Amino acid sequence: MESAGGILPWSEWGHNSVSLLAVNDLGKRFGGVQALQGVSFTVQDGDVLGIIGPNGAGKTTLLNCVSGLFRPDRGDIRWQDRSIVGQAPYRIARLGIGRTFQIVRPFPSMTVRENTAMGALFGQPAGRLQPAEALRQADAVLDLVGLADKRSHPVLRLTVPDRKRLEVARALAMRPRLLLLDEVMAGLNQVEVEQALEMVRQVRASGVAIVLIEHVMKVIVGVCNRALVLNLGRPLLEGPPSEVLRDRRVIEAYLGERYARGGDA
Amino acid sequence: MIALHLRLRPSTRRLAVAAGAIALAAVVIAPLSSTDAAQQAGLPLLTDRLWFRIATTVAMFVALASAWNVIGGLAGYASFGNIAFFGLGAYTTGALVSNLRWAFAPALLAAPLVSALFAAVIGLPLLRLRGHYFAVATLGVGVAVGEVVNNLGPLGGATGLFLPILRSDLLFFYLMLGTAALAVAATWVILRSRFGFGLLAIRENEEAAAVIGVNTIFYKVSAFVIAAALTGLAGGVFAQWNSFINQENVFAVSDNVEMILMAVLGGAGTVLGPVAGAVVLELTIETLAGGGSAAVYSQIGLGVLLTVCVIFIPRGVIDFFGGQSRLSLGYLRRTLRETSA
Ligand SMILES: Nc1ncnc2c1ncn2[C@@H]1O[C@H](COP(=O)(O)OP(=O)(O)O)[C@@H](O)[C@H]1O
Ligand SMILES: [Mg+2]
Repeated sequence: MESAGGILPWSEWGHNSVSLLAVNDLGKRFGGVQALQGVSFTVQDGDVLGIIGPNGAGKTTLLNCVSGLFRPDRGDIRWQDRSIVGQAPYRIARLGIGRTFQIVRPFPSMTVRENTAMGALFGQPAGRLQPAEALRQADAVLDLVGLADKRSHPVLRLTVPDRKRLEVARALAMRPRLLLLDEVMAGLNQVEVEQALEMVRQVRASGVAIVLIEHVMKVIVGVCNRALVLNLGRPLLEGPPSEVLRDRRVIEAYLGERYARGGDA
Repeated sequence: MIALHLRLRPSTRRLAVAAGAIALAAVVIAPLSSTDAAQQAGLPLLTDRLWFRIATTVAMFVALASAWNVIGGLAGYASFGNIAFFGLGAYTTGALVSNLRWAFAPALLAAPLVSALFAAVIGLPLLRLRGHYFAVATLGVGVAVGEVVNNLGPLGGATGLFLPILRSDLLFFYLMLGTAALAVAATWVILRSRFGFGLLAIRENEEAAAVIGVNTIFYKVSAFVIAAALTGLAGGVFAQWNSFINQENVFAVSDNVEMILMAVLGGAGTVLGPVAGAVVLELTIETLAGGGSAAVYSQIGLGVLLTVCVIFIPRGVIDFFGGQSRLSLGYLRRTLRETSA
């Protein structure tokens, strides 16, 4: 299986091939909160998997388990058929898994360009870059995410949408094979969402698989080929985005939440 | 910016480096000249024994503050346990010379090794703690090691350890200066390397550093070990220079606080900040140490100064002159330029 993968392009070994990422029966508990239970899915090369679900559904916890920041209580996470549960986050990163944080985590005293260069400097599976080369690569990534004209800004001067773009840039600079995006389009206006969608399409076209957590339905339908719905830590259903979003249970899960938070509006 | 850019504008920077080099050369060469030549050149102070002592002490604190900067300033882990590395280094050299009759040179080389080894062992558990937990835990280690040594009979116990006197002001001045230069050079090299950027990333956001591929544990322990080796080396030199060591003079928590103040005051995370902080603060302390009530006021003054600095220029004086801080001169200059344009 492994050796065949080296010879044939992925498209030729079809659905019997080893998944890029395979999550199986994942469970994670925080005190009295069962944040994840029985979550399973796979990601193949070329996939854009959307993960949706109301706040508190366990989406971020799922990413934290995959990227190694949390250790799941049960279940398995396999990268190209090797378990990565219990591995240090830096090892998982260098396998080719990049991620963003929903609550952004920039390096505050560095510029936009320097922040991005850090991803190139440490995250690339292929090896060690020198700082100058990392900076050069950062510029290309900043063009892609639309931060090119702000490259020398200190991050503390960036708006929230720009900080989210920077999260994406830093992860992309790692040259990942799988990119995990946690609500990077929250708070963007119509035009900005369109730009972001275009960016995701370009990333996908460059051969990066994507797991995308998002509330904006237009995004899920616009770029995902599959969607997984989580509710209260459990998988509700999985399928093509258009079908998933029409499902009554999904609508209820969201409406239920909106009613519960009625005071907010 | 702290990381991949040079902080000062190139012209300012070149000027500062040139001035620094000249001043350094004067200090380094002056002791070599005979008393008469120094008198004629207008440098009588440097040939005076008291001033030799002060210059050596300043060099020692430059080394200690720069070493602290590697773990505290670059990696962002405020260690209150560096004094343990100093004391261990001092006692290593002291015991080898005094108990085992080693020559000073090999005994000195053993000091950084022992301190580094100790840092590697305690670093693994301690560096999992963050913020004030780490500060308190390292403080505990510093005190504990001092107590243990204080109770070990072969190391002189509470009496302390005496080393055969080696009378050479020149030798110890240059050894301390060399240690300081090593610490500064190490910082300079680290700040330009992948390793250095990894430390900065850890300081700025450790989770983010981890998920972009920084081996955070290895990096932190390495920084701790480097800081320990440099601090231990200074301790080894001190032991022979002072020819008497005990818990009070090599395990003093106040010395640990002093190296932190120097690094923070001058600019933690920069190459020259801790140097500037150490020179200014140590000279102030030495100058004011003599007078009775003056000393008390100077202590209060230092406390106030530190508080003001931490609040208004948290990145240190170096940043104040060139940097991004809203209260820095650079910021003021930029703002004026922007509003007038
Ligand atoms: N580090 C943590 N400690 C304790 N509880 C947590 C932690 N992270 C998440 N949770 C809880 O797990 C549940 C799922 O949270 P999260 O994964 O952030 O949801 P989502 O990203 O879908 O909004 C919530 O009830 C949240 O309070
Ligand atoms: Mg979330």
